[in-house]
Amino acid sequence: MDWYEALALLLGSIIFLMAVGMPVALAFLAANIVGAWVFMGGERGVTQLLNNGMGALTKYALMPIPLFLLMGEIFFHTGLGGRMFNAIDKLLGRLPGRLSYVTVLGGTAFSTLSGSSMGSTALLGSLMVPEMKRRGYKSHMSIGPILGTGGLAIIIPPSALAVLLATLAQIDVAALLIAGVVPGLILAAFYIGTIWLQTRLDPNAAPAYDVEPMSLAFRFKLLMTEVVPMVGVMVAIIVLMIQGFVTPSEAAAFGALGVLVLAALFRCLTWTAAKKSVIGALKVTLMAYLIVFGSATFSQLLAFSGASRGLVNWAIAFELAPLAMLLVMFAVLLLLGMFMEQISIMLLTVPIFFPLAQSLGFDPIWFGLIMLLSLEISFTTPPFGLLLFVMKGVAPMGTTMREIYTSAFPFILCSLLLVALLIGFPELALWLPSM
Amino acid sequence: MFKKTYDTLLYGMAILAGLLLVWLMVSVITSVLMRNAGLQPFAWLFTSAEYGLLYMTMLGAPWLVREKGHVHIELVTAALPATLRTIVSRGVAAACVLVCLILAWKGFDLVLTNIERGDYDTRAYYFPRWMLTIAFPLSFGMMAIEFSRFVFGTDLMHSGEAGIHE
Amino acid sequence: AKAEESISAVHAFPETLIYTKSFLSFVDKVNEAGKGVIQIDVRGGPEAIGMFQQPDAVRDGIVDMVYTPGSFYGGALPEKDAMVASNLTAVETRANGGIELIDQIHQEKMGLKYLGWFDSGVCYNLWTRNEPTFDANGNLEVEGLKLRGNNVYNAFFTNYLGAQVIDLPTGEVYSALQRGVVDATGWTQIGLIDLKWNEFLNYRIEPCFFSTDLGVIVNLERWNSLSDEARKILQDVAIQHEKDSVEALRGKRDEDFAALEAAGMKVVSLEGEAKANYLAAAREKTWERMKTLMAEQPGGTDNYDRLIELFYDLDAAK
Ligand code: NA
Ligand code: NA
Repeated sequence: MDWYEALALLLGSIIFLMAVGMPVALAFLAANIVGAWVFMGGERGVTQLLNNGMGALTKYALMPIPLFLLMGEIFFHTGLGGRMFNAIDKLLGRLPGRLSYVTVLGGTAFSTLSGSSMGSTALLGSLMVPEMKRRGYKSHMSIGPILGTGGLAIIIPPSALAVLLATLAQIDVAALLIAGVVPGLILAAFYIGTIWLQTRLDPNAAPAYDVEPMSLAFRFKLLMTEVVPMVGVMVAIIVLMIQGFVTPSEAAAFGALGVLVLAALFRCLTWTAAKKSVIGALKVTLMAYLIVFGSATFSQLLAFSGASRGLVNWAIAFELAPLAMLLVMFAVLLLLGMFMEQISIMLLTVPIFFPLAQSLGFDPIWFGLIMLLSLEISFTTPPFGLLLFVMKGVAPMGTTMREIYTSAFPFILCSLLLVALLIGFPELALWLPSM
Repeated sequence: MFKKTYDTLLYGMAILAGLLLVWLMVSVITSVLMRNAGLQPFAWLFTSAEYGLLYMTMLGAPWLVREKGHVHIELVTAALPATLRTIVSRGVAAACVLVCLILAWKGFDLVLTNIERGDYDTRAYYFPRWMLTIAFPLSFGMMAIEFSRFVFGTDLMHSGEAGIHE
Repeated sequence: AKAEESISAVHAFPETLIYTKSFLSFVDKVNEAGKGVIQIDVRGGPEAIGMFQQPDAVRDGIVDMVYTPGSFYGGALPEKDAMVASNLTAVETRANGGIELIDQIHQEKMGLKYLGWFDSGVCYNLWTRNEPTFDANGNLEVEGLKLRGNNVYNAFFTNYLGAQVIDLPTGEVYSALQRGVVDATGWTQIGLIDLKWNEFLNYRIEPCFFSTDLGVIVNLERWNSLSDEARKILQDVAIQHEKDSVEALRGKRDEDFAALEAAGMKVVSLEGEAKANYLAAAREKTWERMKTLMAEQPGGTDNYDRLIELFYDLDAAK
């Protein structure tokens, strides 16, 4: 079978099954059964699928997701989250869309430092989306920024994916990590600009209500009692990570513990709240993990069948000008990003793209960053973007998949704009590492 | 009588999955505290957490089918007239039953192979592989039963309400 | 003439890693020598079949050939520890019948043909961030070391050194070193630079211990279905590559050591009795594990003594 037939079969089945409404995890499993049957020699291929799924799930790196979810759910169900947002609302006065800005700032800090895109989306999603919905924000004002900042985790250091990319491509790890700082901050600024634009274009997107004037002393008290303790938990786990007390995979457990302690101190830890939190975290975790179980094999089938490598080789066989070649490679990465998981994409494309990039005269650090940006986008592109499904799981009842897709869209545009900017001004990435 | 036993099993497995989630937190915290106190963390803390991820997913998955918690996209089903939608929805559920039955069957095969070969999962310990893979036939078998409720039962998996109850 | 046969293959590590490059050069040699007879069709690395699922995949016939460390299927074949603890290379163990015995065990226990032990002769060192300290008898002091381990060396690290081991996958070691979660790790003599761990590690502790246990395994049914000519080409090229890879990697090791030294890596060595004890513990703790696991399997410990005799030269260790 030629690579394009294999590609058509695999992508065709997954798209068809998802479109007719098969649960995403089951759609992956079904497509895998078809693929395994065709490419891995019949029913024994299905055994491979099960072994793969087991391997994909028994990984310590998956630990942050349920634990960050638990942390967010406890915040929400004990009412701690609500108190914090009330206070922030009062403190920030009349600024339209203030909680969206808070999301971008907090999300940027948190997701980049925690280094786990899915984990931080889970935490911020369960924490912010239901609260903001209750306060009259349109859902895209909370979902969009969270999806956007979730992806920032892999661009701004520390970033496990960046380290892996640098190691695979044999480029300087520190340089690639540092190269991500300025573009990452620019991207966060774009996000803020996007929110501003959204509140300007649609004044109803975020609630506008008057705030009573408050004395400075009262504001200070509000800040210290309602905001600092909650934010303090997040800051504390970040400090624990930076100090080497915990690994990023372990940090989430301490986050959950911290919130439990806080809830106990504030006397709002009830048995019902604890039970609700575990059930809420469990539901989203199970949904996401079964997708991980199913998708583990799908990427591999694309590789094993020769479909993805065929696509890559076909695309780079065009002899085009360097800039056009760059766009071709970027497009291939975006396309693969829709259907494959990030590490598989790197393993597959790095040995092919980096020598090519070098022969075209591209700076490898700069090219590495462009590659990371494409992977960042792939977290939020349908149908495979796992962040989208995590968000679907934590968002309130009635949030549709379409709402989530359209919420993500402006933030994907921001990333594309950043790529264009990096092509025009490579110094944005390369200036800091050269210092 | 059978239904009651079955339901007890289904919810019992879900409760176990929830307890495993709590265990993840406890095991991580314990091993970090031990490490930073200069003690050697028990290797089983780490390993049990990794295996816990698999058991949790498999034990809870059938319950989540009943709760309609597995995310799906209502695109086609929302655009169809009611009768056709019912047919498509039941058809999709039937396809899910088929997928789960295949996986339960191959999962059972895998358990037998693991026992016959004496396979071990080699991490900190040499753990008999069949004790992990036994989760597959159980979980996918019960998921098949749960999905079949949407094939034959009164309740449909898809609401068709333009994605509102996805 | 008969039609050209083709077998599929995957490798455990990413394409850019030195060991994978070695395997790919073996593939090139086969495809050159085997024109019109036998070709190897490489489907990729861990992106095509997961690293730890590859041994089962070749056993089940999903792929025909796999290049992987024996340690990835140590549960099914504890005898791989004979290679892990070995102080010989594939050249000597091919000559003395050691590899033939390993092949026979693979065939019996796993239905696999063991085609060749590549990239042998590379051993492991302990690498540390801070200067290692020694007790009055010259033994390494591990108290206070935050040592990263995995199931290859834990029998040695934990049971003998009594170290506080932190299990981490290779991919997480860089950031763990960066954050100070670990400050020492075992690793092969080569490859440290590729992983960039030398940014944090400053000392190499001699002597080195263990050996890499990377080998090519082939589904036995598929192997037996090949023509005699194809099998001969595969086996001959594999034996040649066993030799070539030992030399190539020794050259690479010397290069790496020189580069590390130039960048400030210091070498610290155990001496005399402490050194002998250290080496003895590395092999004996690992043999102990092998014997315990073999005893639980059909066939028991029948091959134990012969494996040790063929894979370890006690005189050379002195
Ligand atoms: Na980060
Ligand atoms: Na994607």
